[in-house]
Amino acid sequence: MTFLVPFIPLLPLAGFAFTGLFGRAMGRDSHRIAVWAVVASWVVAMVVAFGALTHTLGFGEAGAGIKLWTWIPATGFQADMGFFVDALTACLLIVVTTIGMLVHIYSIGYMAHDPGKWRFFAYLNLFMFSMLMLVLADNFLLVFAGWELVGLCSYLLIGFWYPRRSAAEAAKKAFLVNRVGDMGFALGIMAVWTQLGTLNMQDVFHKFGSIPHEWQIAIALLIFCGAVGKSAQFPLHVWLPDAMEGPTPVSALIHAATMVNAGVYLVARCNPIFGAAPEVMVVVAAVGIFTAILAASIAFTQTDIKRVLAYSTLSQLGYMFASLGVGAWTAAIFHLMSHGFFKGLLFLDSGSVIHAVDGEQDMRKMGGLSRKIPITYATMLIGSVAISGVPPLAGFFSKDEILGGAFKNGFLWVWALGFAVAGMTAFYMFRLMGMTFWGPSHVDPEKEHHIHESPPTMTRPLILLAIPAVFLGLVIGFPPESGLLHQWLAPVFEATIAASGRTEAAYNFFGIDGVLAIVTTGLVAIAIVVAWRLFGVEMPSIGLRAQPRPDRVRELSARPGLAELYRGSSNKWWFDDLNHQIFVVWGGRLAAAAFWFDRTIVDGTVNGIGVVTTGAGIRLRRVQTGRVQNYALGIALGLIAMAAAYLLIAVR
Amino acid sequence: MPIGDSIPLVGIRWDDVLFVVLSAALLGSALLVVTLRDIIRCGLALTASFASLAGIYVLLGNPLIAATQVLVYIGAISVLILFAVMLTQTKNAPVRLAFQTQAWFAALAAVVIAVVIAATVLATTWPSGGRRIWTVTADVAHLLFHEYVLPFEVVSVLLTAAVVGGVFLARREVKRPEEDRS
Amino acid sequence: MSNSLDSYLVLSGLLFAIGTFGFLGRRNAISMLMAIELMLNAVNLSVLAFGAFVPPLNTHAAVIALLVIAVAAAEATVGLAIVMAIYRNRKTPLVDEYDAMRE
Repeated sequence: MTFLVPFIPLLPLAGFAFTGLFGRAMGRDSHRIAVWAVVASWVVAMVVAFGALTHTLGFGEAGAGIKLWTWIPATGFQADMGFFVDALTACLLIVVTTIGMLVHIYSIGYMAHDPGKWRFFAYLNLFMFSMLMLVLADNFLLVFAGWELVGLCSYLLIGFWYPRRSAAEAAKKAFLVNRVGDMGFALGIMAVWTQLGTLNMQDVFHKFGSIPHEWQIAIALLIFCGAVGKSAQFPLHVWLPDAMEGPTPVSALIHAATMVNAGVYLVARCNPIFGAAPEVMVVVAAVGIFTAILAASIAFTQTDIKRVLAYSTLSQLGYMFASLGVGAWTAAIFHLMSHGFFKGLLFLDSGSVIHAVDGEQDMRKMGGLSRKIPITYATMLIGSVAISGVPPLAGFFSKDEILGGAFKNGFLWVWALGFAVAGMTAFYMFRLMGMTFWGPSHVDPEKEHHIHESPPTMTRPLILLAIPAVFLGLVIGFPPESGLLHQWLAPVFEATIAASGRTEAAYNFFGIDGVLAIVTTGLVAIAIVVAWRLFGVEMPSIGLRAQPRPDRVRELSARPGLAELYRGSSNKWWFDDLNHQIFVVWGGRLAAAAFWFDRTIVDGTVNGIGVVTTGAGIRLRRVQTGRVQNYALGIALGLIAMAAAYLLIAVR
Repeated sequence: MPIGDSIPLVGIRWDDVLFVVLSAALLGSALLVVTLRDIIRCGLALTASFASLAGIYVLLGNPLIAATQVLVYIGAISVLILFAVMLTQTKNAPVRLAFQTQAWFAALAAVVIAVVIAATVLATTWPSGGRRIWTVTADVAHLLFHEYVLPFEVVSVLLTAAVVGGVFLARREVKRPEEDRS
Repeated sequence: MSNSLDSYLVLSGLLFAIGTFGFLGRRNAISMLMAIELMLNAVNLSVLAFGAFVPPLNTHAAVIALLVIAVAAAEATVGLAIVMAIYRNRKTPLVDEYDAMRE
């Protein structure tokens, strides 16, 4: 059944071509082809994933490679158009195609009134194609091609409403910052080629131990560079919050569930490379956990509902990288999957909220919506609980595995920061819930009577996503560290885990693992209660009610120690200003200097040569008097010179 | 009564005296040719220089050439030049400088040429016999019509061509009657 | 002095230099032609001087001088004819004005 694999990316590609060519003419129905393409792709992907995970249907234990043709058959360099499917690929396929399909369906309702709808669906299909190529590729060059293409689609989709200046600039920013990371990735691929002579990933992994250690470190760092760019880790994180300028389905699909996970997937796939360079793993963990706490701190003070979720995404991605860095590979993929589902759910929910209040995104102008948009409210509540890590929802299991892995592998500082971030996550999520759904309504009076629940095309995906948000953890993650997911992914990571010399003790609830779980859950509970007391809660069904206390919030944020933190947080810790200063201001000056140099010195030289030539010509022209006597004088002088020369030579 | 080789009391040889006098005349009149403003006077000075040259040729023992010099140069060329001067006089010729702006450079060039030639000449040991030799006309004639007969004939053709060319160049434009239209 | 070749040669050189100055420094075309005649005569003088002092060259020098005189006459004729033709066209004998070859 491996022949099915090429169809997974092919169907969205066909959808893109068809919608791109005929979408405009199709008018109201322009979404149909695209949506059906993605649904079909999902079906095929599920079949393939089933085969890959259960090692049936023609998929072996070590994964199946499918080579279509030789893409670049140059002497000394060869790259294939080929796919590789193993358990890791299957997990990613599940996430990407499921969320992709649900986002497509959601977009039918969300973009119903947009005149550019056909463009939107065409780009979405192109994105699905690119992401699937990235995930399925069996060699680095093809991964890079998919990598670049998803960057392009991100640009196209963030800037979808391009007449709006902020959207166009956000798209540019995303593309440029991504580019920085991509350059590192490209250098890494070149290094792989020069050192190992092949770009096929499985071959590279087998041979990786044979190159000098400095090169192993270099390659690992460069590949991580690409991941930093694509997954918006510090310092290339600045593009993700601005990317919220795009339509909400875009934010849900690309910037929560799929594209940003590409970096995590890349590092996980290249685990033999990173396993050979433990120094780089420390860097990965450090960058990841730092990003996590940085982003969480900024989310505390954001007022745009999508920005909070964006920073939350940054923070959770940081968790995943930290998990990869400490050697808890499967935990990272677990978190990737669960995060994909509940962050996708949260984003689509926020889109529904924005749809309900007629385009308003500022949370200070919301409130009390729980009564008015019940389905959205219920699913968002589920999502928030999941992300906060409340057992037994998905987030609890995945986060707990990460923290446990960090602690047991000796990275205590990672554990400590991650522990803090867990509490912060719960706090800002319930702050969001309080400001949006509970308490008195601050909605603009004109919009207040228009508040309505979203159409079924939008709410059904919400409900469908809520299901894995609740149950995914129990299904594939329980019992912890020996559940289904661990069994599936064991062949992928066991070589690296064995090489690192760590033997994993079995999960013991009555030992350190249980202590950590309880402590974390306790912190989360405290954080939620604090959030309730500051921002309110209204859950009559279980008798919880508290009023928001904005005065207390203001008082707290004015306190001497906290005031500076508040200011720094709401200014995003001034990173955008720093980038602006360095690249825009100083870069602009450098460019101006170069321009001056080019205009004055280079052009001046060239023009100067022309001027000198013309001037010399004008002056030398005067020699041509037309008078024979002048010429005769010249002859006489020349003659004299020659005679004198001969004389001198003869005398000598 | 022969004069004797040198002036009686002073002891300077007549040859040298003649040489000095003739050279002075030659150089003097040559300088006048190139410096006088009035062209007619230049022409006359030119004639004088030709004459002194003829004298020097005699001193060199070559009366044939001296005679030829007088006949051709003074008798023909000087006259020709004087005629040309008369025919090209502009009425109301303004009093201009007779010299070019580059005259100073020309003077400099002339001086340098003179110095270079003099230096070269004086520095070279010529295979000279130290005595002037008298030229025998019969030998000259013999040479002219035997070894040098070709150049002789060519020069005669050249003279013919010069005459024809000169006449052609210098004649007035002949006006033709109008062609009748048929 | 009259018995040394050098003096005649130096004399010839001086005459040639004077002729050069006249040729390069005068405005009237006919003055230039007169200077040319001077130069030709200087050459004649040096040839004859060599003929007078170097025995093998004696008769040859005379023949050469003769031919030079003939050629000089021809050249003077044609040169003056040209000057007259130009004079008729330009109404001036001054070579300054003959600058049709000027750029």
